Amino acid sequence: MFLPSSTASHYRPGLRFCVLLKIKKSSRSVRLELRRGRLCDVTTLNYRRSLLLLPRKLANPALCKPSDLLRSAMALTQVSSNKCAGGFQKVYEHDSSELKCKMKFAIYLPPKAETDKCPVFYWLSGLTCTEQNFITKAGSQLAAAEHGIIIVAPDTSPRGCNIEGEDESWDFGTGAGFYVDATQDPWKTNYRMYSYVTEELPKLINANFPTDPDRMSISGHSMGGHGALICALKNPGRYKAVSAFAPICNPMQCPWGQKAFSGYLGADRSTWEAYDATVLAGSYSGPQLDILIDQGRDDQFLSASQLLPDNLIAVCSEKKIPVVFRLQPGYDHSYFFIYSFMNDHIKHHAKYLNA
Amino acid sequence: MLPSGCRLLSTVHSVLMDVIPEESEHQDFSRESITMEAYNVVPEPGGRTFQRFSVNTNESLRFEPCEESCPSPTGAEHGPDDVFEKGEYENEIVSIRNQLQGKVAEMENFAGHLEEIFLTVEENFGRQEQHLEQHYNDVLHTLSQRYDEGATGLQEEKKSKLESLYSQLLVCGQALDASKELIEMAQEIYRCQDKRFFLKTVMPIIKRVEEFAKEDIDLTLSTSLEFSTPLADLSDVKTMMDSINVVPAPSAPVINPQLPNSATQTSLHVCWSLFSDDTVEYYELYYRPVLEDMPADSTCAPQESKVKVKETHCTVTDLLPNAQYELWVMATNTTGISPASEKALYMTVPSPPVIKQRECSSCPEAALIRWESGNTNPVDSYTVELSEMGTVGTESNITESIVAVPTCQCLIQLQTGRQYLISVRAVNIGGPSDSSDAITISTTGTFFYLLEDTAHPCLSMSEDGFTIFYGDEEFPITAMAFEDNTFTRCVAILGDLIPVRGRHYWEVEVDNETEFRIGVAYEETERDSYLGANSSSWCMRHIRTPSRHKYEFLHNGWSPDLRITVHPVRIGVALDYDRGTLSFFNANLEQHLHTFHCRFQNDVHPCFSLDNPGALTVYNGIAARDYTFI
Repeated sequence: MFLPSSTASHYRPGLRFCVLLKIKKSSRSVRLELRRGRLCDVTTLNYRRSLLLLPRKLANPALCKPSDLLRSAMALTQVSSNKCAGGFQKVYEHDSSELKCKMKFAIYLPPKAETDKCPVFYWLSGLTCTEQNFITKAGSQLAAAEHGIIIVAPDTSPRGCNIEGEDESWDFGTGAGFYVDATQDPWKTNYRMYSYVTEELPKLINANFPTDPDRMSISGHSMGGHGALICALKNPGRYKAVSAFAPICNPMQCPWGQKAFSGYLGADRSTWEAYDATVLAGSYSGPQLDILIDQGRDDQFLSASQLLPDNLIAVCSEKKIPVVFRLQPGYDHSYFFIYSFMNDHIKHHAKYLNA
Repeated sequence: MLPSGCRLLSTVHSVLMDVIPEESEHQDFSRESITMEAYNVVPEPGGRTFQRFSVNTNESLRFEPCEESCPSPTGAEHGPDDVFEKGEYENEIVSIRNQLQGKVAEMENFAGHLEEIFLTVEENFGRQEQHLEQHYNDVLHTLSQRYDEGATGLQEEKKSKLESLYSQLLVCGQALDASKELIEMAQEIYRCQDKRFFLKTVMPIIKRVEEFAKEDIDLTLSTSLEFSTPLADLSDVKTMMDSINVVPAPSAPVINPQLPNSATQTSLHVCWSLFSDDTVEYYELYYRPVLEDMPADSTCAPQESKVKVKETHCTVTDLLPNAQYELWVMATNTTGISPASEKALYMTVPSPPVIKQRECSSCPEAALIRWESGNTNPVDSYTVELSEMGTVGTESNITESIVAVPTCQCLIQLQTGRQYLISVRAVNIGGPSDSSDAITISTTGTFFYLLEDTAHPCLSMSEDGFTIFYGDEEFPITAMAFEDNTFTRCVAILGDLIPVRGRHYWEVEVDNETEFRIGVAYEETERDSYLGANSSSWCMRHIRTPSRHKYEFLHNGWSPDLRITVHPVRIGVALDYDRGTLSFFNANLEQHLHTFHCRFQNDVHPCFSLDNPGALTVYNGIAARDYTFI
């Protein structure tokens, strides 16, 4: 910048432009200082903490409504945040209205989320898992960053509800919600994972994060695979893509499913049909699906007849529901298997989410 | 040049005769105009000007255009003159003026001509003078040569005569001395007192004297005193003197080398010139084709043809394209025919090539064009011309030309998503041929034909070359004609993919029952093996059992275990050289089926086979969908 020599003495190098904005919010004042073009929040103590927790959308007052600020400031609590693959892997905790307890979920925000709205990929974990297994073991972050997809991974069941018998087995109760809305006591108050995953969680995510509410997809492993399939089949057109790793395809016919359904839904098998992917596929009508299923050939639970993919394939072949089912030799049921094919699945989802 | 010179002089003469009365006419007219000028100037306020002739000056005749201010019939602007009178004079003046203008133009032309004629006459005179001088110089030169020869001859004769006489003299002298000696000896002996000595020596002396007396002295001259002058041979000088008066036969013309772009497919334009200023009545141009393998004996020599022309150039027609011809010229005048000129080799332009439609392929970035030479003999090179077609489908001008293409194929870089018209010309020394028929190339998607010569004998192809059929009939093995390049076991065929290592996409349509293998393979893939069973091919295979469909994705005989619930009837195949992937899709559902990962070492070709009687159709020239290359 050329300055006339007579005024040179008035300017110092490293000029700082200061803009003072005063916003009155419930008797607290917020002062925003523009330092070298970067927006920096400077608040009083309490406000700072909650504001820092909020995504950029909220830190910039232009983007959100006052009601948002109020609600979200009380709804979500960040538990952890780690930079990962250029974006952020965060874990939040909130009070769930469906499950009547505190629930945690993991969310990965790719670099694209800083500037644009992103589609959302919901991951449902399997038996005994929490929100931690997926984010530490599945290796999804790089692919999510590359394709600009937000990944949300909720917990597998309500926690700390103090229901008798909830911790007795690893395949029923805690860590084994089976993504149903239970009708039987003592489970029916808290164990409403289906509604949580399909209703409450998406609303929460859409309200607090830079998401595109029309573009979401669902996937999962084992019990979560079952959950993903039934969510997609029961909500035609809601999910743009669906895939599964070693899903429980026909819970009504396998020991796991029978144990869980009889506990959550009662003895009447007709009520089970609403949560069985094989049965639902037989009566599916809606927009065309494109289901990708990976299954380890050396999966112990496959040989133990817990997963029963053949039943699902047979029905889908008959009903002309497009499925590509891949039997991967040498792979088992573990996260090593998930890690190996996570890229393919995210690419499969990206094709529809970014279309 | 003398006859022509005479003609010119007579023309000049006649023209001069014509000029004179015209000049006088001019003078009359000018006088008239002057008087009229004098008449009309006075009452004329409007200012009409007449032409001015610089008749008595040396300036070239020039006139200024008349101003177009014609008088109105009513004569409002004019004075009290009688209008009709003026009108009469006007018309006359105008007509006279036009005549004069014409005459002036003629005169100018004529003057120009005269100048030219004068120059020509000067030239001719100069040439004649030169010619004469040269002739006589030649004669003189020859004469002086003869004189020198004669003179030296005489000199030599004199020398030889003198020598012989001198030697004779010597001999005489010697004889004289000898006899003198003899006489002295005899006298000495005679005076000798010693009688005994005298008796001893007297007899030989007497013998010698007797002998000597018997000897005849040859007193004749060895040579004659006369000189014999040989007759000088002046016959050639005589002929030279004679030839001065005779117009010589012309010398050999000089035939020019072939001018570029002067030939066509069936004609040649030949020019030649005279080396000297001979008079020539007409020329005869001879030509005959030069054949590659000419047998030694001349009985099979090709026919030579002859054309008689008066000009120094000629267009020879009715020739073969891309052929070499030998041409020579002879000039003829009243005296005789000149020797033949040097033989020049001319070449006709080649026939246009023929583009082989079924061997051309394209992709979004380039096109590969192949053609037939169109000529039996080799040409020097080819020129490929391409023009982009406008959006309306109209042709634009040639936008690009690729020259010096050595072989009958060319890989051309193009822009994506356009349509081009491409044609080829063959080029040799004679110039470029006509343009071949153009081919339309579209750079949307990848386009290829199937390689017919790789097809298994049981495969037949549709008219357009994109559908293959495996018939029901059983062919006995012996009846099948296997070539080197055909598949022998797998009923397969390869596609002719353009060798550009980018992204390619094509689709294959099958029906519910077709058992097929589709994918890619290296060009050298084993022809006696099944697609996918070796390391040089990758394919998707469909097997039909009574109860269900089975799918395999084969390479090196191995396939992953897959189930596909909806049978794909339209399969998209996407090849990406950079990423080393070959992907298959259900194109109707946009469903991804499987991807091979492999760094393709060489260029691959699409491959298609039918494991059981059926048919499949290839669709290409399709722009790859968005999802194919995620």
